[in-house]
Amino acid sequence: MSTVELRERLADRAVAGPKQVAITGTFLGILAAWLALPPATVRTSTVPIVLGAIAIALGGYAALRDERRVGYGAVAAGIVGIPLGLLVQHSSVSHLDAAFAWGTLLAATLRYATPLTFAALGGMFSERSGVVNIGLEGMMLAGAFFGIWGADKSGSWIGGVAIAMLAGGVFGLVHAIFAIHLRADQIVGGTAINFLSLGLTGYLFIQVYGSNGTPSLSTGHWLTGESIPDVTISSGNNFFAQVFGQLNLMIWISFAVLVLSYLLMFRTSIGLRIRACGEHPRAADTVGIDVYKVRYVSVVVSGMLAAMGGAYLSVGFTHSFNENMTEGRGFIALAALIFGKWRPFGAFAAALLFGFSTALAYAIPPAYSDTASSVLRSSALFQALPYILTLIAVAGVIGRSIPPAADGRPYKRQ
Amino acid sequence: MAASPVLELRGITKQFPGVLANDHIDLDLKRGEVHALLGENGAGKSTLMNILYGLYRPDEGEISVNGKPVTFSSAKDAIAQGIGMVHQHFMLIPVMTVAENIVLGAEPTGAGIMLDYGAARERVREIARTFGFQVDPDARVENITVGQQQRVEILKALYRRADILILDEPTAVLTPQEATELFGILRSLKAEGMSVIFISHKLNEVLDIADRISVLRRGKKIDTVPRAGVTEEGLARMMVGRDVLLRVEKPPASVGDPLLEIHDLHVLDDRDIAKVRGVSLQVRAGEILGIAGVDGNGQTELVEAVTGLRTSSSGTIAVAGKTMPRHAHSRAMLDAGTGHIPEDRQRRGLVLEFSLAENIALHDYCYPPDSEHGWLFPRRLIQHARRLIKDFDVRGGGPTTRAGALSGGNQQKVVVAREVDRNPKVLVAAQPTRGLDVGAIEYVHRRLVTERDEGRAILLVSLELEEILSLSDRILVMFEGQIVGEYPPTATEEELGLAMIGAGKEHAA
Repeated sequence: MSTVELRERLADRAVAGPKQVAITGTFLGILAAWLALPPATVRTSTVPIVLGAIAIALGGYAALRDERRVGYGAVAAGIVGIPLGLLVQHSSVSHLDAAFAWGTLLAATLRYATPLTFAALGGMFSERSGVVNIGLEGMMLAGAFFGIWGADKSGSWIGGVAIAMLAGGVFGLVHAIFAIHLRADQIVGGTAINFLSLGLTGYLFIQVYGSNGTPSLSTGHWLTGESIPDVTISSGNNFFAQVFGQLNLMIWISFAVLVLSYLLMFRTSIGLRIRACGEHPRAADTVGIDVYKVRYVSVVVSGMLAAMGGAYLSVGFTHSFNENMTEGRGFIALAALIFGKWRPFGAFAAALLFGFSTALAYAIPPAYSDTASSVLRSSALFQALPYILTLIAVAGVIGRSIPPAADGRPYKRQ
Repeated sequence: MAASPVLELRGITKQFPGVLANDHIDLDLKRGEVHALLGENGAGKSTLMNILYGLYRPDEGEISVNGKPVTFSSAKDAIAQGIGMVHQHFMLIPVMTVAENIVLGAEPTGAGIMLDYGAARERVREIARTFGFQVDPDARVENITVGQQQRVEILKALYRRADILILDEPTAVLTPQEATELFGILRSLKAEGMSVIFISHKLNEVLDIADRISVLRRGKKIDTVPRAGVTEEGLARMMVGRDVLLRVEKPPASVGDPLLEIHDLHVLDDRDIAKVRGVSLQVRAGEILGIAGVDGNGQTELVEAVTGLRTSSSGTIAVAGKTMPRHAHSRAMLDAGTGHIPEDRQRRGLVLEFSLAENIALHDYCYPPDSEHGWLFPRRLIQHARRLIKDFDVRGGGPTTRAGALSGGNQQKVVVAREVDRNPKVLVAAQPTRGLDVGAIEYVHRRLVTERDEGRAILLVSLELEEILSLSDRILVMFEGQIVGEYPPTATEEELGLAMIGAGKEHAA
């Protein structure tokens, strides 16, 4: 390589495009808040203010040079980063250290992300085949109730998860019949699934367990008292052990399902056919693929996976059921799916982000127990964190998310 | 070449509610021949081919392949019998690669169900080599040209070892050059022993490529004739059932003042690429100015700028002597006296879900008599529509019929009626006969000449050289956003063709 060429190449590298500037800005905006946290715990208010201001400036520079999306993302990161950093500095270092034990925080992230991962992967099967599944919430809720019921009746968590999957599959089948054969509007159909599930689980809950609540480990009603076991692979006190040392089996299963979903969807002929049905069902039909069959199976699998997420929530996590216990997690999972561009690892990453912000929302308030402000001590304010993060991420980091071309469009055979 | 037919259809009948789409049709296909199926829109060509490809089931009749009777209940059965089909609207998935599209439904698999993409790519290369195609198996379909997409469709059939290939209106979406390439491919397929059914309503290409021609009209087969000895006129008569004027007869133009004046116009497309780069032209009262060019050389953007659908980046447009502001939108252009027959009547010309009366009122709904003080008068709309339907001989429905329910030719008549009835000074006609059959083309052509003789200035943009040559009083050739030459209507197709690819000499008529 000639020296001239080399110099040109270096020059190309040296000049940062507006996009790089904006990404740097976003990074600085995050840094503004992060430096106030352990282990750095910077205590001067200049640091977040200066870093945040630079982030805003860089974002503005990029936005003016036609990198609007990333540019405004950096601006938003700066605007949120400054107050967040200042807010964190309000708390004492010792409290922060307790709240921001990163190992525990990440373990909590995985716990909160797992139901979302299951449901988002389920959603991927349905939507990749061309059926919008806004009923994930209902299918998840069904999984939560029938998981507990199944574990109670069969006396084993395996029976619980199996029955949950069966219930989710049935709800999936109902959605499939409406969406595929009856060609009903899929948003309306999915919403109906959600209400149906809410009503049904609520009714059965009262009928079967009365107002005493579900049997749980503590009350001893649970016949064999068997919950989904944790997997202990390390009990040390290092970072790795804190995160992965003791996780619920369902979390490991979700990792396996994630990898399998990826392989199935993008590395097998079955996946190719599912995606073909979601992009251009008529094209699939003309090469002899049974679009209806592919979609039915995909939507039923979708329901089963969402139900696994619900079962984890009830049988694996809280060990009980209460009415509407999914509380919109199905919708968050749907957001994660869209956010992750209908790809398994993308959806997983989004689920982790939502999980992390939920974990954060629970971890922050104790850090302010020595502050007079009751606002800071209540977790209510921080519950909004996941959604703020979503907005920033959607605006700045992730590009436009393009759904499968035939997603939500009923197919009619000629 | 063996004489026994590879495919035989006997007495195929298909009844749809209200229409007898196929009425006892017999057809046979010999090995290594190109058999053209000619007919107007709605003659039953597509129905017949969908039956042959297993997408419809016939009410009566039988199909035999290589002498054996077969029944198809889905496309799978037809594929298994070696029948491949290239649909008019490609059955390709834009976001997938060429190789993925080709193997879909019959994928080579490695261990168990794992897709063996390497093998797929190799197989595609191999077939492409055998038949002399150029394709990149790893390219995404959305990134390749329409002509290449069509080749992918043909490869799809070849991959499935088809020896009977059905092509449904294959040239409708192609540029003239791509069509020539396609014909080359068909000839080489023929040489390899493939049999081809070629569906078309274009007489010249049928005469160019077919060995035998079957003509359908209103669900019945009229005749099957060898190419030798038939003429365009004869085929047109068989298709339409009466004599058709293929050449437009028009008196010499009596030209008046310039009504449309464009000066140094520059227009960008949606991706901010300069598509029109300094076009200046004049269209005078009583003349048809034809703009010839290969698709994508700025014609669309020029038309959009002139009709106010796209803002130009610089330059001026004047209608009837009045210079329009640069940001003039379509309403201002309409009111200044422009009429527009858009190139895509289903997307831009009509609201398919609206009735004919509503479609006809689309421009003037906000003016009396259609409305007063913001109130619509539906009865007046209907009266207006009834008059136009009668004057312009629109068939297949009344004022309250849904526009989408009409045939293409009648839809176009509705568009023409609406535009002409407003008495525009300038009429912009973009590909006014695209997708129309012979009878409807004849009507539109005659109408444009009539409007010219009424003293309107007509700007005709078309990809069909024949149409440009037969209608225009002057011809401009557009290449890469610029006017590269002006020609008289006596110019030859060769001259224009060369100019269209940028190889013509600067020419002043």
